[in-house]
Amino acid sequence: MIVIIGGGVTGLSTAFWLTRAGHEVTLIEKGIVGWEASGRNGGGCTHPYSPLFAEEQRLWPQMDELLGHPTEWRPCRIKVALDEGQMERLRASAKIATDQGFVADALDAKQLRELVPWVGEEVHGGMFWRYGGHANPQRTSQAYAWAVERQGGRILQHTAALGLVLKGGRAVAVRTSAGEIGCDAVLVAAGPHTGALAEQFGVHVPMAPARAEIMVTEPLPPITHGGVDGNGLYGRQTLRGNLAYGGGPHEWLDLDGSGTPRAENTPVVASLARRLTEMFPKLGHVRVIRSWGGIIENTPDGRPILDRLSDPENVTIATMSSIGFGLSPAVGRALSQLIIDGACDFSDLSQLKLARFGNLPRDWRARQGWVHA
Amino acid sequence: MALDPTSLAGKKFPLRAVFDHAVVGAGEAGIAAARAAAARGESVLLLDEQPLDPGLIGLDIPFLFGARVGAAAQQPARMEERIVAARPGLEAALEVGVEVVLGVSAWGAFQNGRGGAPFILGLADRSTAWLVGAHRITIAAGARDVVVPFEGWELPGVMGARGLDAAHRLLGDFTGRRVAVVGTGEVSFPDIALRLTDPTELRILGAQEVEGIAWKDGPWRELACDTVVLAIDAAPNVEMADVLGAGIAWDAARGGFVVECLPERVTITGDAAGTTPVMRDAWMQRAFTDPDRMLCACEEVRLGDLRALRPPRYLGAEGPEAGLAAIQAGSQDQVKRLTRAGMGPCQGRRCRDAVQALLGNDPPRMASYRAPLRPLPLSVLAALEEDPALRANWTGWFGIAEQWLPHWEPVPDNAVFIGGRLSEVGK
Repeated sequence: MIVIIGGGVTGLSTAFWLTRAGHEVTLIEKGIVGWEASGRNGGGCTHPYSPLFAEEQRLWPQMDELLGHPTEWRPCRIKVALDEGQMERLRASAKIATDQGFVADALDAKQLRELVPWVGEEVHGGMFWRYGGHANPQRTSQAYAWAVERQGGRILQHTAALGLVLKGGRAVAVRTSAGEIGCDAVLVAAGPHTGALAEQFGVHVPMAPARAEIMVTEPLPPITHGGVDGNGLYGRQTLRGNLAYGGGPHEWLDLDGSGTPRAENTPVVASLARRLTEMFPKLGHVRVIRSWGGIIENTPDGRPILDRLSDPENVTIATMSSIGFGLSPAVGRALSQLIIDGACDFSDLSQLKLARFGNLPRDWRARQGWVHA
Repeated sequence: MALDPTSLAGKKFPLRAVFDHAVVGAGEAGIAAARAAAARGESVLLLDEQPLDPGLIGLDIPFLFGARVGAAAQQPARMEERIVAARPGLEAALEVGVEVVLGVSAWGAFQNGRGGAPFILGLADRSTAWLVGAHRITIAAGARDVVVPFEGWELPGVMGARGLDAAHRLLGDFTGRRVAVVGTGEVSFPDIALRLTDPTELRILGAQEVEGIAWKDGPWRELACDTVVLAIDAAPNVEMADVLGAGIAWDAARGGFVVECLPERVTITGDAAGTTPVMRDAWMQRAFTDPDRMLCACEEVRLGDLRALRPPRYLGAEGPEAGLAAIQAGSQDQVKRLTRAGMGPCQGRRCRDAVQALLGNDPPRMASYRAPLRPLPLSVLAALEEDPALRANWTGWFGIAEQWLPHWEPVPDNAVFIGGRLSEVGK
């Protein structure tokens, strides 16, 4: 029995790959699967800086079929630059993908206007990334969960993890609000709560929670490639036609206890509207109908920790450091291999081990300016 | 080290003014609260969204107007005069020093809460949004019409009792002629051709708009009319209380979802605090007859789609085999995410009560509200004054340079952030 703590996309995808390979899995989730940041984010599937990028790109086109429910995945990204500075950063970002054999085309203002009729006359240009894409986070999270159950996995919602029962350097059970569950291996993928859980068995996983927010407009007639963003915004036109965009300042938080704070918004939602009208000046009349906030966690270098520990040796830790949704098909597959075989056979994850933070001072958050000293 | 410049720390939300007390909604209860606060010596802002942005009338916000409001609503100055005339208490409030603003909606309420700081209210008129501070908030936002989804309810000409009252009495431009009323609620329009008081099956007839009503009274009977008024229930407007973190629970004796507890320094009064006992269940059950019945008109979600937990039409896919049971007594928010019922431009006002009744959760759980509490054009929200420091330090996602560089390479010294930024910083 493999117990997965956390019903976000990372835990769900791992449960999907494990049950697909015939392993016995119980996933516990303190609330509802995919209810926090996994189900409410920008939906981007384009992460060339990750060692899991190639696998991310390979898997997304198959996910609807693998999961048996629509994820609303669509390929490609179009990037808008309002000036040369933004264009330069797009080139630097694209180079990481093109160095791996993916294709990115520069677009002049006219070509961009043909693809994205919402941009203004003053637009500088853009890029067509013939890689990456976007999907619907809510639908995908739930699709993972249903697929896990269909494959014989057990998902316990409204069940909180309280700690591990250790014996001889191994976890033999997970203590939960619904009693103890015996286990052969454990994955801790509890988002911002991962650090506090690991602390209980003496492992320090440095992470800092933060809140970010997104706004959504009424639907517009869909354009050919809805995965269009830029001007300091991430987001997309959904298949329904709504524009969903986030970006701008996050708020570093201190989490009290095991609960997740309310998904509050701030007046930053108006700044999101301002950035969007700067990028799409022809859409000033379009109405904003919704916004939401979500809590994510970051490690000190903003990069994931994907690591099977040496003590307890059957426990694996996973945090995606605030960028988990798009990579979830690939990271779940990688974690399933780490848990079963101790290594991933398709990506080199050696840079993402916990040990890289071995000498980190305990007050690292203050030293990085993420909290008051 | 200095605090992360790309975070919210140290950023300001410029306020146009700060009041001791803001009262949202200038009906009877709001006017009374504002006058009482002014009498205590508080500086008071009293605001009301009437006269409404005609765009909101078209979206059936805040009432079910059913396309029966005439062109008079397009003339805000004239409408403002009518509103002042209809509510004599407004003059009295002005006389005791209350700042009264009409035609302004409150789209957001934010707990700035640390250390006695004022709440922040997001306000907007038809052209611009702005923020004010308020040390106290009184929510006097009234109640909205409850839609019972009878066949044909989405036709122009179907309105709520509150929508009719606003069109007829407040705006003076109700364009219907022959009116049939469903339910026992108060209706201010004097000339009613038919009133159905007892729950029964009924159909609203018409091709492009309402042409009549048919109801079961033993045999089916029929009457020609151009307006059908739903006067079954009014639900307290608790959306601002919800975004402020109030505790909200179902109370059948007070009109459905009502506020049970509020953050300090927030009060709720009038119809927003509770209306009359709910009457809707018997009517609702008589409306849930046909799987093809439209529930969410914005997103075209029908009764059968909801029961099957079917993804939206544009996906052409089936729901899980177990239908609704696949999410075990799931909340309305969960059902909303999967079917899109309640995700449209009317912000779920027209379907949320029906969907909640259909789910039948015990105890009922309210689907959440989010800012903006009124659908606002991007240009209006974008006009809100922005702290230059917020713009200057804007990043697409945090400000961690190494997050955006190859993870298989060590973190470089002096890494440059290549995530989203605004180049012409300070502009």
